[in-house]
Amino acid sequence: MKTVSVLFAILACTSLAQTKGTAVPRTAEGKPNFSGTYEWPKALSGEQCRCSATIFDRKLFAPLKPGGEPFYEPRNGDPRHDEPRDFCMPAGFPSGMLSANAMQFFQTKDYLIIVHEFQRMTRIIPLDGRKHREDIEPSFYGDPVGHWEGDTLVIETTNFKRWGLDDYFYTNPNEYRMHSDALKTIERISWKDRKTLSYNLTIDDPKTFTAAWSQPFEIAAKPEWEGAGLYEYVCEENNRCPGGKCQGK
Amino acid sequence: MRTSFALLAAALWTLPALQAHHSFAAEFDTAKPVKMTGVVTKVEWQNPHIWFYVDVKGSDGAVTNWGFSGGAPGQLMRRGITKKVIQEGMTITVEGFRSKDGSNNANGARVTFPDGRSVFTAGAEDRAPGDGKDK
Repeated sequence: MKTVSVLFAILACTSLAQTKGTAVPRTAEGKPNFSGTYEWPKALSGEQCRCSATIFDRKLFAPLKPGGEPFYEPRNGDPRHDEPRDFCMPAGFPSGMLSANAMQFFQTKDYLIIVHEFQRMTRIIPLDGRKHREDIEPSFYGDPVGHWEGDTLVIETTNFKRWGLDDYFYTNPNEYRMHSDALKTIERISWKDRKTLSYNLTIDDPKTFTAAWSQPFEIAAKPEWEGAGLYEYVCEENNRCPGGKCQGK
Repeated sequence: MRTSFALLAAALWTLPALQAHHSFAAEFDTAKPVKMTGVVTKVEWQNPHIWFYVDVKGSDGAVTNWGFSGGAPGQLMRRGITKKVIQEGMTITVEGFRSKDGSNNANGARVTFPDGRSVFTAGAEDRAPGDGKDK
């Protein structure tokens, strides 16, 4: 009988541990721990890009406001305008984050660092309560700061330069989507289960849309990719045909 | 072994195309499909796209060296295509589309080996002749 009681006690403890274990991995400070290797964010709905990078679902867009028409910028035949990445220009955020490559998260008490294999994009996100930097040049990836709301990490990014929002132009070469320099993004990251992150991305672009809008994504953990790790990506190394003009052999 | 490779190749062929760094349309002309057989002279397993070079003998016996662009090394390796798949000295048949500038370069979308094995070596938005996306 005593043996049976001990057995039940062990099973109860194991069950409790498993319940906790399936909740979320945590840091020493008790915060959810996102360190690990992942696929790129996948959309839960919407159109698929011909290129397989994730693109935004236009059904979720808020209406364009008067003056927001430059969001759909026509291509003009100049490859430096139409295809800046063909000249190794950066994808920027959020486009680069949605690119179809692996990514790795490194989390400390004060930072989340996201390294994306595509163009070796690196986002350094302070979690120490600091404010956005002031008086810095607008940039391709913006200025992010993060804070915790319970078990959800909220990342607000501002100070973008005008650039491509996503890779939709691979689907329709005549339709570029350009966010404005007023863009603010809000990412909300949390564990959905031990294999999946919920990733909600809000696009708040008051020069373009009548309201902010959001799209939910999921990010699959890929611990099996940890061994190989991320591969180097130096675009300038052998970009032989920029703009369709091939060089050397 | 051959069966396994064939299954792998079939699986690779049906995978969603993976994005590379540029638009296929910026560099290659879908109105100019090419299919050539020759001997691999060099492989550049580098970013942003691998390139491999093939000596192709014309009907007049003259040999021309063609360059073919594939996907990004990291994407290909994560798909199971390592640089051992294409090596110098191999005889291969390559299908793709010629570069827009008319030079002896093309995207190398599909590589077929003498025993019939085939791999999809292109990246993302790239297309292969006859895949239904070349319109």
